[in-house]
Amino acid sequence: MAPKVASGKEKLIDEDDEVLQAVILADSFDKLFRPLTTRTPRCLLPVCNAPLLDWTFESLALAGVQEIFVICRSHAEKVKQAISESKWSRPGSGIKIVPIMTAKETFSAGDAMRDVYTRGLVTSDFVLVMGDLVSNIRIDEVVRVHKERRKTNKDAIMTMVVKESGAAHRTRPQGDSSVFVLDAETSECLHYEPVSAYPRTAMTRIPREVLESHPEIEIRNDLIDCSIDVCSVEVPSLFQDNFDYEDIRRDFLHGVLTSDLLMKNIYCYVAKDGYAARVKDTKSYESVSKDILSRWTFPLVPDDNHPGGHVYQHSRAPAKSGNNTLIGASTKIHENAQVTGSVIGRNCVIGAGSIIDGSYIFDGTVIGPQCVVKRSIIGAGVTIKEKTRVEKGCLVGDGVVVGPLAVLDSFERLSKRRNAPGEDEEEDDDDDDEEGDDDEEDDDDEEDDDDDEEDDEEEDDDEEEEEDSEIEEIEANQDKTSSILGKDSNAIVWPRGPSEDDGDGDGEDLAAYKNQRARRLGDEGSDLGVSDEGSDSSDAESDDESSDDDSGNDFYMSGDTGTSPLATPTLIPSGQMQEKEFRIEVAQSLERAFAEGHSVDNAAVELKTLRMASNVPLSRVREAVVAAIVEAVKIVDGAAAQRKEISRVVGRWGELINKIGGVDAVETVSALQMHCASSDRFPLFGQILAELYQTDIVEEDDIRAWYKTPAAKGVGLAAGPTAENVKRCWAVGGKMIEQFDEQESESEDESE
Amino acid sequence: MASEPANTATQRAVETLAWKLRRRQIVGSRATALETLLVLRQVISKSRFSNMEQLVAIIRAVGRRLVEAQPKEHSVGNTVRKVLHHIREEYHTATKGTATTSSGGFSISKFVLLGQPRKQAAPPKTESKGTLKENDPDDPDSFARSLKPVLMEAIQDVLDELETVYDNVSKNAQNHIHSDEIILTLGMSKTVEHFLISAAHNRNYTVMVLETAPSYGGRDMAKTLSAAGISTFLVPDSSLYGLMSRVNKVILGAHAILANGGMFAITGSLLAATAAQEHCTPVVVCAGQFKLTPLWNLYHEYGALDFGDPSQVLGFEEGSLVDKVDVVNPFYDYVQPNLIDAFITNDGDHPPSSIYRLIKETYDDEDNVL
Repeated sequence: MAPKVASGKEKLIDEDDEVLQAVILADSFDKLFRPLTTRTPRCLLPVCNAPLLDWTFESLALAGVQEIFVICRSHAEKVKQAISESKWSRPGSGIKIVPIMTAKETFSAGDAMRDVYTRGLVTSDFVLVMGDLVSNIRIDEVVRVHKERRKTNKDAIMTMVVKESGAAHRTRPQGDSSVFVLDAETSECLHYEPVSAYPRTAMTRIPREVLESHPEIEIRNDLIDCSIDVCSVEVPSLFQDNFDYEDIRRDFLHGVLTSDLLMKNIYCYVAKDGYAARVKDTKSYESVSKDILSRWTFPLVPDDNHPGGHVYQHSRAPAKSGNNTLIGASTKIHENAQVTGSVIGRNCVIGAGSIIDGSYIFDGTVIGPQCVVKRSIIGAGVTIKEKTRVEKGCLVGDGVVVGPLAVLDSFERLSKRRNAPGEDEEEDDDDDDEEGDDDEEDDDDEEDDDDDEEDDEEEDDDEEEEEDSEIEEIEANQDKTSSILGKDSNAIVWPRGPSEDDGDGDGEDLAAYKNQRARRLGDEGSDLGVSDEGSDSSDAESDDESSDDDSGNDFYMSGDTGTSPLATPTLIPSGQMQEKEFRIEVAQSLERAFAEGHSVDNAAVELKTLRMASNVPLSRVREAVVAAIVEAVKIVDGAAAQRKEISRVVGRWGELINKIGGVDAVETVSALQMHCASSDRFPLFGQILAELYQTDIVEEDDIRAWYKTPAAKGVGLAAGPTAENVKRCWAVGGKMIEQFDEQESESEDESE
Repeated sequence: MASEPANTATQRAVETLAWKLRRRQIVGSRATALETLLVLRQVISKSRFSNMEQLVAIIRAVGRRLVEAQPKEHSVGNTVRKVLHHIREEYHTATKGTATTSSGGFSISKFVLLGQPRKQAAPPKTESKGTLKENDPDDPDSFARSLKPVLMEAIQDVLDELETVYDNVSKNAQNHIHSDEIILTLGMSKTVEHFLISAAHNRNYTVMVLETAPSYGGRDMAKTLSAAGISTFLVPDSSLYGLMSRVNKVILGAHAILANGGMFAITGSLLAATAAQEHCTPVVVCAGQFKLTPLWNLYHEYGALDFGDPSQVLGFEEGSLVDKVDVVNPFYDYVQPNLIDAFITNDGDHPPSSIYRLIKETYDDEDNVL
């Protein structure tokens, strides 16, 4: 331990000699690639015939990273094996790669980061990337900028690398983009909001504080989030402290940016040169493959520095195949076969007269004569027999046999039936084939099928069991599919539709499913012929979306609407839950304060703590405080007595409203209005408002501003007693303003 | 044979260079040649061998590894071949006491005088004489021990040649450029830069530099030339043809000179050479000898051109275009021998038709395929 501490201190003296470390989160924590990922982890899926993880390693090596920790969870053994067999473990690679197997209970990136912390892996600033990154960005330059910034600002804990893209870009996934609000000068990230394709995020809300403290900001929706983060050592410990952080962007980034206590800054690095993108879903799989083939990733291109170590030749399209096609070694393409815009693995056979268009075919797959395969991903060792049609968006798992004469509809997903009676023999054959292939290959990135079987059975791991049970369920639901898949098929068809798509199983499923559709290979939304109601994510709309985001008129709304400005649509249920609890807590705490006569300052501190603990926006606190004060006013008979009571309560506690962490009188008035409208203290609205005015908690201008907002008139509220009351409150406000006007004219008269 | 653990350090040096070549962390023919030479020196000084075949095998293995890592940097292979050639020469000197006569400065006039190409027969294998003993069972290291100093010297010679290559290429510059000439060049080539600056000491002439999109190396070139006091114009690529009628000479740099007298040179060279031919303007190529490559029709013309990424031509942010447009951005042009009038090397001036001879002189035939 001792030398480590010493080296930590020396850090200040010679920073350049430090080993640059990287942490790869090699698990995706989602299931967008299934059934391709049932047997292989996503990071070992081949992209342009090299495992995704090798592309990531190469990207990091290009940036001069010397030590890499790979955090793997699902199929961790395979990842470990793949790493030990890869060229990176050979001497002279200059990189130390340490696979770290985390517990099966690691369900999110946050859990993985906590694991990084508990293991004490990182000793200095490090690069955090996902295991599906393809990049040629000079990350060392980002690290340098980050360290430079750290010298002057110790609170700059993270630098995120983002890449500019246009309004519509194939590499910026529709279902998974985000809005960044950056300081124009320092590119400090001030606000972040994810954008979902369904329900389509049409507006973003920017906290008022951002506008207050930064004279010039950029609101950008054209950035590809490369998920390359240069982090300081504090970052894992922040995850440790906040055990509910799951996603690095949605939770951690958002948490740090909105926290008043942490006072940490996060910066963006808008990469001008270079390329970086993640293979997050099947759609980005396609776009990244295309980008690699059109050489955006240079020098990481197949004919130059192919991460799999294969040698490819770059040539002008020969007669048989179109441009931007990659064909692996020992692959046979028979006469009259057309291959366009596709990637074909090694040892494949494409039958005579077949048409392969925009598809990704892994190693050792045999496609019979007269087949048509369009925009699909076909796993390794698949046999597609003659005259089969595979429509776009299909995912065919490893080892599947389909056909002959089968027709796969768009977006069909197939995987191999396990241990089905009568299929064993055939399966063995497959295994033999695969083994033979492996012997010929120079690097064994693909796993043997029989290994998989053993793994499945031997490993007592929850996820696989869960998966197994899922597969069993699917198998149980196979009826008359064989008629579609052809008589020789060993495949099972995965159900379409939202129900199985993700395991959460509640009301958001449909939304989540539609959101995922936007991230699916070949799913355009514009092709209405095949897609159903989920086609909201067309490219045309994305343009409106970005213009919506950029228009400035959303800001003021954050003050007066009742909905949370920050919660994402999918998080609403949990957010509401939290808010309810929070409201009760505030009410209790204030009740205690009122009863025991705490000082206003103490009560304010208590409220702040509560707010931090439950992570709610300021407007919620204001509403709760206003509500509590209104409720504290006792209803007494007699106008004079009532007024006295109000002035007692407001005079004692009114100040608190402005001490909770921000002054926003307009919001106070609308909170008062909303609360009074739904409470039995409705008649007191005018008097309380007057009292607030008397005690200078709200100014005349604020009341006027509130009066003008649409929400104050009850616009957008469902008709009912509450809406009625809201309107009456508004009328009361109107009278008050009339009084102001009179007073003003009187005073003017006097002065004249 | 050499033991594995002793070799890990050199092994690592080789691998590191291979990685750098793959990742394009070392680019440029001279830089790669220098790095290759340094690694070879390390390999030779550390490795153990008891006869000539072993030594050659070791160097070839290293050479093959490096060439495979980056087949498009031809100077790597050239350097390895050159070192092998020198080693054999030294070996023959040591064993026979007589060096194979080296013709020294080779020029067009001498070529005419010499007539028939000299047959470069491998000298008959003679048993070692004097102090040099191969395969000595008592002391397997004796061969290496006695030969190593000479080998180091041989490598030092190659190194010196590389280091002085610019000066040697440009020593005759004033004979090629005359006063009041207008010279056209393009791209950023250190050799051409030295050549032009050296000529400027004695001559007063004008240089037109093409911008050379998309790398815009011409801009840097124009800056350095005008800083050296040469009257320089930076002109857009599109005006190439229009200007050509006024140009007296086109001077180009090369990436690799091929055995057929053609060359790989920065994109735009082919255009310039073709325009020059139309106007009967002489095209002169300045290059160091290490660019001589005993290969031609490598792969085929298209694939050997080494394509860069499209971002220099089309911004990645042009999302709607990226999906629909394929950008082809080759680094090099293949310039056919008939478009080139002369090569000026550190080993004299040659017409394209005699490059094959120069290559035969510089390398041993058996090394053409490493």
